[in-house]
Amino acid sequence: MAFNLKKKRDAAIPQCSMGDIAFLLLLFFMVSTVFVQEKKFWVERERWPIADSIERIPRNHTTTIYVMRDETILIDDIPTRIESAEDVFVSTTLVRKKTEDPDLIVCFRTDRDTKYGVMSDVMRQLQDANTLVVAFETQQRQN
Amino acid sequence: MKIARKRKAKSEIPTASTSDIAFLLIIFFMATTKFDVKEGIKIVLPQATEKQEGQVQSLTLTEKEMTRFQIMADGQIAINKEAPRTLENNELDMLIQKKVKENQDMIFKVITDREANYNEMVRVVDRLKAAKIEKISLSTN
Repeated sequence: MAFNLKKKRDAAIPQCSMGDIAFLLLLFFMVSTVFVQEKKFWVERERWPIADSIERIPRNHTTTIYVMRDETILIDDIPTRIESAEDVFVSTTLVRKKTEDPDLIVCFRTDRDTKYGVMSDVMRQLQDANTLVVAFETQQRQN
Repeated sequence: MKIARKRKAKSEIPTASTSDIAFLLIIFFMATTKFDVKEGIKIVLPQATEKQEGQVQSLTLTEKEMTRFQIMADGQIAINKEAPRTLENNELDMLIQKKVKENQDMIFKVITDREANYNEMVRVVDRLKAAKIEKISLSTN
């Protein structure tokens, strides 16, 4: 009696769709990447204060205020200064933002050598805008 | 006489290396992408006091209920009515622990001079947060 010998199949992984998968991944990275433009006013991470007890701030409810050492304030990419009680740009901007997002958290990226006076003025405008939750962005202390 | 016909060469773009190029580009994007994570010290500011009379509820707190950290322009810290002095992180930690032992519900008020460094205020708030203090009040002056 004759037995039919089964032919062994080649155990190869199909690679023809590899290129498509790679391009899909590439598209994902290209779409999700946001290039941060180097601004004229900027506080480098190295200039932030160093702290131990830091917590993660949810990004979806935040707005960032940059405070430079020369007391320039950057909000919504617009530089401003608080020199008198009439300078209410920060407060008016935050009132608008607070209406758009009631859970707004204001994050400060401040140079650690900035005088507290300017921070105090900004925080007072935050209080006027009823935006009370703030976060001081810091670097984690390396042990 | 037989004339040999030339075969036309097929004009195809070789696509075998497409995936290699794509993977190289992915590696580039993965290597250059930096996630902008927001981390810091979160705090809730007190509400703005109304200027109209009669709307402000004044409350007088004693030293047993509230500790005042007054940060001077030169970075020295005055605790309640004591004279200002330079305080290192470990000294601050011990002092906070002592105050909490005296009263579990102690309120800590941080008053910073306008000329003082922002870094000093963050340092004090950080030590308070490290001691799991929730009742922190920041003054705006």
